[in-house]
Amino acid sequence: MPNKTVKNKNPIFNLLGNPKYQFISIPIFAVIISLILSAIIIFLLGQNPILALKGLMQGAGALPKDNYAAYQGQVTDFMETLDIMTPMLFAALAVSIAMKGGLFNIGVSGQMLISGFVATITIGYAKELNPFISKTLVVIIGIILGSLVGALIGFLKVKFNISEVVSSIMLNYIFQYVISFFIITQYVDPVTRQSRVIGENARLTLMNVEIGPYKMRIPIFFVIAILVAIFMHFYMNRTDQGFEISAIGLNQNAALYAGIKVNHRIIMIMAISGALAGLAGVTFYLGYRASIFPNQLSSIGFDSIAVSLLGNNNPIGIIFSSLLITIIDRGGTYMRSVSGVEQEIAAVISGIILLFSAMSSYMKEVFGARYRKGGK
Amino acid sequence: MAKDYDYIIEFRHLTKRFPGVIANDSINLQIKAGETFALLGENGAGKSTLMSMLFGMYEPDEGEIYLRGKKTKIKSPRHATELSIGMVHQHFKLVENFTITENIVLGIEPKKSMIGIPMVDIKGTDIKISDLSREYGLDVNPTDVIEDVNVSTRQRVEILKMLYREAEILIFDEPTAMLTPQEIEFLLEIIRNLKEAGKTIILISHKLDEIKQVADRCAILRNGKLIDVLDVKETSTQTMANLMVGKDVSLDVAKEDSVKGEVILDVKNLFLKNMFDVKIVKDVSFQVHAGEIFSLSGVSGNGQMEIADAIAGLLPIDSGEIFLKNRKINELSIRERTEQGISYIPEDRQVYGLVLEFSLANNLVLKSYYHEPYSNRHILNDEAIFNHADKLIDNFDIRAGKGKDTIVRSMSGGNQQKAIIAREIDLDSDLLIFVQPTRGLDIGAIQAVHQKIIAERDRGKAILLISLELDEIIALSDRIGVIYNGEIQRIADAKDISREEIGEAMMGVAKNA
Ligand SMILES: Nc1ncnc2c1ncn2[C@@H]1O[C@H](COP(=O)(O)OP(=O)(O)OP(=O)(O)O)[C@@H](O)[C@H]1O
Ligand SMILES: [Mg+2]
Repeated sequence: MPNKTVKNKNPIFNLLGNPKYQFISIPIFAVIISLILSAIIIFLLGQNPILALKGLMQGAGALPKDNYAAYQGQVTDFMETLDIMTPMLFAALAVSIAMKGGLFNIGVSGQMLISGFVATITIGYAKELNPFISKTLVVIIGIILGSLVGALIGFLKVKFNISEVVSSIMLNYIFQYVISFFIITQYVDPVTRQSRVIGENARLTLMNVEIGPYKMRIPIFFVIAILVAIFMHFYMNRTDQGFEISAIGLNQNAALYAGIKVNHRIIMIMAISGALAGLAGVTFYLGYRASIFPNQLSSIGFDSIAVSLLGNNNPIGIIFSSLLITIIDRGGTYMRSVSGVEQEIAAVISGIILLFSAMSSYMKEVFGARYRKGGK
Repeated sequence: MAKDYDYIIEFRHLTKRFPGVIANDSINLQIKAGETFALLGENGAGKSTLMSMLFGMYEPDEGEIYLRGKKTKIKSPRHATELSIGMVHQHFKLVENFTITENIVLGIEPKKSMIGIPMVDIKGTDIKISDLSREYGLDVNPTDVIEDVNVSTRQRVEILKMLYREAEILIFDEPTAMLTPQEIEFLLEIIRNLKEAGKTIILISHKLDEIKQVADRCAILRNGKLIDVLDVKETSTQTMANLMVGKDVSLDVAKEDSVKGEVILDVKNLFLKNMFDVKIVKDVSFQVHAGEIFSLSGVSGNGQMEIADAIAGLLPIDSGEIFLKNRKINELSIRERTEQGISYIPEDRQVYGLVLEFSLANNLVLKSYYHEPYSNRHILNDEAIFNHADKLIDNFDIRAGKGKDTIVRSMSGGNQQKAIIAREIDLDSDLLIFVQPTRGLDIGAIQAVHQKIIAERDRGKAILLISLELDEIIALSDRIGVIYNGEIQRIADAKDISREEIGEAMMGVAKNA
């Protein structure tokens, strides 16, 4: 074809605008801009941004610290990061599949809480059960409860035309308060004011495992989360159901015309999303943690929306975006101790990244429009 | 005001490339102030692209645009509006639950001050828009809400939008493709009024007789190149058609008598209601046989589109029965009907027929992706999907920059339509429902599609054709049913009914079935 070479008026804009590369160029752009902004903020606070960033990475086990306590090391820090990354990854996958189908699951937090709660009171306190059986049951309960709630949201949408956004926010509130009531009246530990700690047999994270000189957590479900992400990638892109989900997400009328059972599929998409949220719930409340705070939804459910956007709603991208956000969230405490930058700054940094990633489709559009106008 | 320029618009060596195609190849063109200028060319020839550059939606790769004698870089549609250029697109851009006035002023709301608080002056604008509407014979009621008005009115709202912004150059991209013959007459009258008022009008159309009626000059594009600029009065439509396609085209299609087979579709006493619970189809019965083309002829909005939707399963049946090959299909799902042998080319290609963000290859398997060879045990087989796409692109002459990988949104309107036709014919169904199958196609493509429809008939398929164009109905049909106000007025063999009789029955005049 007589296609003359591309006129590179501005290579950066070309990279950001070309739909072929946008899936990776836009998130990287969002992260870089956020880091620069954060550095400026830290600098204005009179601190050293490089030191702060290094502190963050060290705290999360991505870089070695100067010294460690007994049984501790970079690997123990990193394991803890992976442990908290696990529910984040599941939660972001939950958001992404719904998004692919044109649905917005803003109720991940509530779905996490109900799954975590039910698994805690049924299996978590059954301390005599065989560990393998109880862990399996915890996972099954998480998946079932999450998917039931998801399916309910989908059902309300197709049957009564109630927006999934509204119903999931309502359910978030209902779960939060009802569960708090039960925790406070039935399951509270008077000292910690949280629910009583579950038995080690049911916990999805193995604690204090001695390996060499270290005592560390082993987040067994991390590996499973990665496998699930790879599976979801395959499912969304390579299967006939994935084809249907995309078609529904892009044009419901055409999907209907093509003979796709749109209503069934919407319920199914929400059930899958809920199941993933349920997995996030059990790996959070019965894995990373072992008890539930009353009166509070986990922020993971909300951060996961932006993590999913940062990862371009692509499961493989989400593996990386959830790792990044987790590192920043986790490294805050250590950052303060080494650089004097307040711990809250870590939250500001991840907040800025999430903000920019939430803007990613806007940026895609803006850069894309410039690019298209220029042609090619 | 004295003009210090010869041409209001001048394109110099204007070039625009997209991946895999040169949409406009060094176009030199001059347009005089106050003339009605037509653009003619095959699907994908580059007409919309050329106008998009004038309207600031694309930036030319090479060449310049001179506006009123001055070299101008048109940066955006907003900038174009400031330069008093307006455009009515093929697909309208209106807010459904706003009134007509609100839509028109959107973005440039007239402010008035009430006790110091700035307010939008809607009342005052209503009056202004009424006046404007009367001045050009547009006949719209400014307080109507968009979702309640039909396509033709929406289009006139788009025209008002341009006039309200004081556009001097008005671009119409295939304005008549969505209209009924009566509405077309009305629009052409409006265009004449606009010309009278001194506006410069650029009209893209595939319909030669419309160009003949209103245009002064006409440019012909082929494969992105400007072929010729003609004086419309001195050129026959046949010459225009030949120039456009690049070879002699015959405007008629040859067709043998039909060999009627068994009954494929049997519609019995069908009643349908629309979403407002109003009866729109009343006691309609007809049959379509294998090997015949049966058409439903009628003015738009008389229930024919709903009948097609009901047969395909998109609209629930109020009462009555539909049989396909002697099997009652009332209760079957859309997919089951497709599998039992129904193909459906719907009226609105962008709303129903295509997933615009999907690739062409995926759109071509939109109804068959789930079975072999496109899926094996639920896993998609790209190779099969791509081969299928290549085959259809070839057979149906679908032109797209990046072939099967082209995102359908970026394809020209006519080629989107060809993609749907290709997919539906390829399903090899016993019954094919064609609704407005040639909307937006160029003459050559219309002829090709007509030949395909007749070829399907000759292969023994039953064809239900629904078209607003009498010419198309008369050219193709073996039997004709005329529908008016949701009722069949008359069913007759095509050779037993004259054009005038069809026309009368369409208006509900004669009823001598
Ligand atoms: N945004 C785009 N991206 C890529 N290719 C495009 C884009 N817009 C148009 N094209 C290509 O440019 C060519 C010209 O398209 P254009 O829409 O101008 O045709 P047209 O003459 O208006 O045809 P039609 O009569 O079918 O509407 C086509 O090959 C089309 O596929
Ligand atoms: Mg066009």
